[in-house]
Amino acid sequence: MEHSFYIISWTDVFVSLALVALCLFLIRWWRIGLEKIIIIGTIRSFIQLSVMGYVLTFFFGLEHWIYMVCLIMLMILIASFEANRRLDIPIKGYFMMNVYSMSITVFIVLGTTLQFILDVEPWFYPYAMIPIAGMIIGNGLNSATLTTNRFIGELKHREDEIETLLALGASPRAAVDTSIREAIRAALIPNINGLMLVGLVQIPGVMTGQIIAGIDPLIAIRYQIMIMYMWLTTATLANVLTQAMVYRQFFTSNMQLRKELFRVNNR
Amino acid sequence: MTNHPTYQINHVAKSLGGKSILHDIDLEIFPGEFFCIVGPSGSGKTSLLRLLNGLEPFDIGEIYYKGQSIQNGDFQKLREEVGMVFQNPVVFAETVKENLLIRKQWDKSFSVSENDLLEILEMVELPQNLLTLDARSLSGGEKQRLSLARTLLNKPSVLLLDEPTANLDPRLGEQILNTMNQLRHQMNVTIIMVSHHIHQAVKHATKAAFLIEGTIAETGLISILTRPATKAAQLFLKEED
Ligand SMILES: Nc1ncnc2c1ncn2[C@@H]1O[C@H](COP(=O)(O)OP(=O)(O)O)[C@@H](O)[C@H]1O
Ligand SMILES: [Mg+2]
Repeated sequence: MEHSFYIISWTDVFVSLALVALCLFLIRWWRIGLEKIIIIGTIRSFIQLSVMGYVLTFFFGLEHWIYMVCLIMLMILIASFEANRRLDIPIKGYFMMNVYSMSITVFIVLGTTLQFILDVEPWFYPYAMIPIAGMIIGNGLNSATLTTNRFIGELKHREDEIETLLALGASPRAAVDTSIREAIRAALIPNINGLMLVGLVQIPGVMTGQIIAGIDPLIAIRYQIMIMYMWLTTATLANVLTQAMVYRQFFTSNMQLRKELFRVNNR
Repeated sequence: MTNHPTYQINHVAKSLGGKSILHDIDLEIFPGEFFCIVGPSGSGKTSLLRLLNGLEPFDIGEIYYKGQSIQNGDFQKLREEVGMVFQNPVVFAETVKENLLIRKQWDKSFSVSENDLLEILEMVELPQNLLTLDARSLSGGEKQRLSLARTLLNKPSVLLLDEPTANLDPRLGEQILNTMNQLRHQMNVTIIMVSHHIHQAVKHATKAAFLIEGTIAETGLISILTRPATKAAQLFLKEED
């Protein structure tokens, strides 16, 4: 069997715009009214990914671990900032909570992957480190923020239950136990469903890319399996670490539920 | 041992959302009393009970529990000792029995003998066969008794009751208050009840106070419930009739 690497040229990329044109045609015909943001989105994704390509090339060329660590810290800061904006209600210190929890998650998951699974040399080998770090940070924060928003919803819905437990002598942690569990379960279920469904219908994105680039499917699946396990652990770690900090913000130092934080009339 | 009041409340004030809810509250409640706080709806009765259980912060003043300011104390311990039964009882989506033993969720050493459990059920007149039912299927009055039983299993030395008979029919309400009174005598439990039922208060209380528009209008022996000295309390009684 012959392995061939199909290199996609810029001209080819522009040809793929034909697909967008078809999409725009349909949107226009049925007057769905999304033309403007589809055009903006098409242009933005083009620019953002191009910039990313150059940034990656630049960093891949640097041969010192300190640059890689700085880049990862920068990725964590930017992603944490984004996550902060996606909260349903503001939570004091949420930005820093994300920074802490992602730093630990990246350290554990990325460390394990680079050291024990990929065995890369040197350990900061940028072609492995940067994309995997990006995957961990994106996936982890996405999941953690979903969980936090769900946790806020649980608090609103269960404030009487929580106060009943407090009044019976429960600690704040015990009083929000159900809320935290529900929130984390809800966020992890998509990941778990992913494990159940992967390979049945769709070929996952990473594998698709690798197969197109000519890598043997039997090797591509190994990467995919590793990535799925990594995602699950990333989401769990990020959720547990973040929630361990988030719930405390909703209590006074005297173990009183701060209902004013999530009641509508006080926003 | 010095005989500290169970609660001593000095000049307590609280506002919520820019609105003054309680102000200038002064009260002394002694061990073994059945202290009844009456007042119209919205006068701050629930808010006051919540302060006593430490569920809510207050702005100024001091609350002493057994001689100690609650502000720098152990709130978990306070709430175990001072049981609160809410006006609208909350039951959890579990069986009645699991609701009663909810404390196990955070206190692994908590256990209740079958005998104690049955005794408590009898005290609040909940039939045994309810134990395996989903607690959400209980009636309002049954939920209230479940919540009372759950609090009693903590063996509190003070009970805060927020309109405990509001969801009960008169006979059962009377029965529960009698049981509370027995508990008070047998186990020296201090009872602080909030209500707008003057008749119940007259019948069971040993001390009383009027809470009107967020402040204590009058406090003293239960005779004040029928012949108050202050204008505000007299006006409230007139409106009740
Ligand atoms: N979170 C809140 N924000 C603003 N006002 C509140 C809040 N909670 C209660 N109140 C007001 O405080 C007052 C006292 O309420 P409450 O203690 O429940 O009275 P009661 O139990 O005597 O009926 C009421 O006027 C109520 O509207
Ligand atoms: Mg009330």
